[in-house]
Amino acid sequence: MAEHVILFAGPMGAGKTTAIEALSEVPVVRTEAANTDRATADKETTTVALDYGEITVSDTDKVRLYGIPGQRRFDFMWQILKDRARGLIVLVNADAVDPIADMLTFIDEFRVLHERGGVVVGITRADLGVGPGPSAFADALQVAHPEMLVPVFTVDPRKTDQMTTVLLALVANIEMRAALSPEAIH
Amino acid sequence: MSLAPHQDPAVIELGRAELAAVRDTATSLVTASLLSDDGFEIVRVADASSSDGARFASMASSIQALSEAVARELTMGASEYVIIAAERGHLIQMRIPGSTIVLAALFDTDEMLGKALTLSRRCAARIAAGLPTTPPVPEPVRAWI
Repeated sequence: MAEHVILFAGPMGAGKTTAIEALSEVPVVRTEAANTDRATADKETTTVALDYGEITVSDTDKVRLYGIPGQRRFDFMWQILKDRARGLIVLVNADAVDPIADMLTFIDEFRVLHERGGVVVGITRADLGVGPGPSAFADALQVAHPEMLVPVFTVDPRKTDQMTTVLLALVANIEMRAALSPEAIH
Repeated sequence: MSLAPHQDPAVIELGRAELAAVRDTATSLVTASLLSDDGFEIVRVADASSSDGARFASMASSIQALSEAVARELTMGASEYVIIAAERGHLIQMRIPGSTIVLAALFDTDEMLGKALTLSRRCAARIAAGLPTTPPVPEPVRAWI
């Protein structure tokens, strides 16, 4: 069976654990701890190692979904999980202090996954009407990384159908870029 | 709202005193830390190693959470500690009973593992007895890595 590892990255409170819960067909492995950093994100718990879920795509394909801890102090987990992954979904909450900077930070940090597979950005909490719109995120990406092809969506991480759309966009992105790679053309 | 443990002077001072007591008892103690559940260092003593205390606290937090996730997955029930046994040391981790604080103590291999575990357990119990409040915590876990 072919197994594909997709990573969910983004700041604390962006909805990574929620998104994996929405997508996974198996009970999600969670590693949450009491959150003492309420200034950064006002929520009860925070992921301190990883989240893990699975989707079986076909008899021969399984997708493993890993969520990273959003805080930089856990960047050793970022490296461990990055080494296993082929694709990346960056989730950023639009109501953060500087969500575009957050997005670019995680895009830069996990840039190798664009080279290895593909990247998609999901903007969460956009329905609150706070912060920049999706076009501002796409424009900032275009300016910072004109060589990268990264679809940008607004998404509710609680909604399975919306997260499925994001995941399928990532898969399509990975396959398209693989088909257009010099190795595939020659 | 109560202070986070890594910002609470009473918790920091209690931890410093109790970790120092372990250090005074056991020369095999290389370093010992108290950390919050979510990976903030509260206090550390006897740091003869060159490790980054803040980074170690984050890693210890992840190890604690991962070991508990494994125990849940395998329905191992409530337990007590994590041990990482390596060529040049034994790292012992356990929750301070009744709190969201984790003790992580590294002993060199001159120390018998059983004694290191006993010292760590007693230290955790003393800290638990001295804490001003006892917020609820997840089920404790024993795991060997």
